[in-house]
Amino acid sequence: MKARMILATALVPLGLIIAAVPENTTKPYKLTAEQLLEEVKSGTQFMQPDEIADMVIAKDPTLQLIDVRAVDEFEKFSLPGAINIPLVDILSPEWEETINQDVKINVFYSNSSTDANEAWMITRQLGYQNNYVLQGGVNYWAETIMNPQVPPSTSPNEEMAKYDLRKGAGMALGGAAETTQPSASAAGGGTKPPIQKKEKKKKVQGGC
Amino acid sequence: MGPLVVYEIISENVNLFLAFIIGIGFGFVLESNGFSSSRRLAGMFYGYDTTVLKVFFTAAIVGSVGLLFLGLFKWIDLSSIYINPTYLWSTLGGGVVMGAGFIMGGYCPGTSFCAASIGKLDALAFIGGMFIGILIFTEGYPLWEGFYNAKFMGSPVISEMLGASRGFLTLLVILVALGMFWVGEWAEKKFARDDYKLNQK
Amino acid sequence: MEQKKYMNPYLGGALLGLVLVAAFWVSGRGLGASGAAKSVVVTGVKTIAPAHVEKTAFYQDYLKTHTNPMKDWLVFQMMGVIVGGFLSGAIAGRLKFTVERSPKITNKTRLIFAVLGGIFFGFGSQLGRGCTSGSALTGMAVLSLSGFLSMAAIFGTAFALAYFARKLWI
Repeated sequence: MKARMILATALVPLGLIIAAVPENTTKPYKLTAEQLLEEVKSGTQFMQPDEIADMVIAKDPTLQLIDVRAVDEFEKFSLPGAINIPLVDILSPEWEETINQDVKINVFYSNSSTDANEAWMITRQLGYQNNYVLQGGVNYWAETIMNPQVPPSTSPNEEMAKYDLRKGAGMALGGAAETTQPSASAAGGGTKPPIQKKEKKKKVQGGC
Repeated sequence: MGPLVVYEIISENVNLFLAFIIGIGFGFVLESNGFSSSRRLAGMFYGYDTTVLKVFFTAAIVGSVGLLFLGLFKWIDLSSIYINPTYLWSTLGGGVVMGAGFIMGGYCPGTSFCAASIGKLDALAFIGGMFIGILIFTEGYPLWEGFYNAKFMGSPVISEMLGASRGFLTLLVILVALGMFWVGEWAEKKFARDDYKLNQK
Repeated sequence: MEQKKYMNPYLGGALLGLVLVAAFWVSGRGLGASGAAKSVVVTGVKTIAPAHVEKTAFYQDYLKTHTNPMKDWLVFQMMGVIVGGFLSGAIAGRLKFTVERSPKITNKTRLIFAVLGGIFFGFGSQLGRGCTSGSALTGMAVLSLSGFLSMAAIFGTAFALAYFARKLWI
């Protein structure tokens, strides 16, 4: 009885204080140029093709690939499940709900990293979260996932494991000898070895 | 600035060491409150001992307020803490199965380890059963994979869903919790048992 | 021997809340228990039947993200729980091998139901992605939807079934 009163007298005022403090002190909003520069320098926006391949194969519902290239390029070749938002349309209101949300992990990609990174910079400056960039774009994807190189046998186990993973992923995604501008053989479908989704980088892994 | 691991202030091994220390605190507090006693835990569901309710909700509101204040003083980056994702059906389904396990076994995983550490043999049996249950899940995974991943909703936070601030919602939870404590203390008097003594300060 | 009294529940809850905040401050996540049990199960299966693990997709996926399942935050945390529980029990004079049960049932019945309950809880914790500490308590502290949902589901079901299980406890 007495203890409950002590608890109440301690917690209710604290609760009132925290309720009265404006929310934006506990939640980041728009970024300043300096903050953005910090993020660019640390490069946390980049996601590796391996991570993405894992998620694609596992049909991870949290992943949304966004192709920022022009429409005709998108129609020629795109990654499985991607939607097309050409860079010039990135600020169009019709896409705002897609790129400003906190349910999915959006991953921008273009042929290299450049355009995708620009898309990320623009959205990030607006304070949007959960947007990422596919490192190296479609070109690097084709190199690493579709045509992985066998690492030298002296490589550490990690390298070998990575190679195995890529080989598996490449096969599952229907790649074998595709080149830097993969043709229409759209990489959808295929049988999928179920790969558990990987936690997004910098996110801590969860409870029990 | 925390979380320490995310900002790479401490190494992975230090992190594991701190996990051990935090675990000691966790276990010590659980045992000191009698969470090592299955009859005390089960008492929650018959009203004769509502300690579980009190400890559990006090911890949740203190944790919640604590996190918000740390965030306010910029000691922790609230945007990089782990928010468990919601997969509607498996969250509910798992909860129902766990509830059934709770009333039969009288423990939950954390408390069973704690109880086993002071020699409760029923807790050891519970732990054995838990391993079997997990094994059933991992072995039969393809059978429930669909259900497990169905209706993914991201990692929603209730305050955002309601359009309220975190602080305001925390205040609400505090008030609700205090109300429940009052009911709990009333229940302990009403459903008191001759063969069970509330042995606490 | 007369046991020492248990701590006041509100004081205990406040301390537990502080432990939870410490866990968040250090590692960015809260407390947990069933994850550690899962690590143990996977390690056990791997040791006993490596060939089986090789060809089961679930274990392969799990091992991909957990190269060494025993070198895991939750495993270390649970080792701490055992030590912490033992210390508290030792200080309070509660160390004793015993089966705790309602006076109306036998030890055997109690143990059978403990195993059964364990099976259910183990399975449910995997399905629900976390147990009372990992999902419900930690989830509620960060105000996550799943935390409140699993709390409601766990305690709601236990209350609903309490009548049928009353012989076990009262």
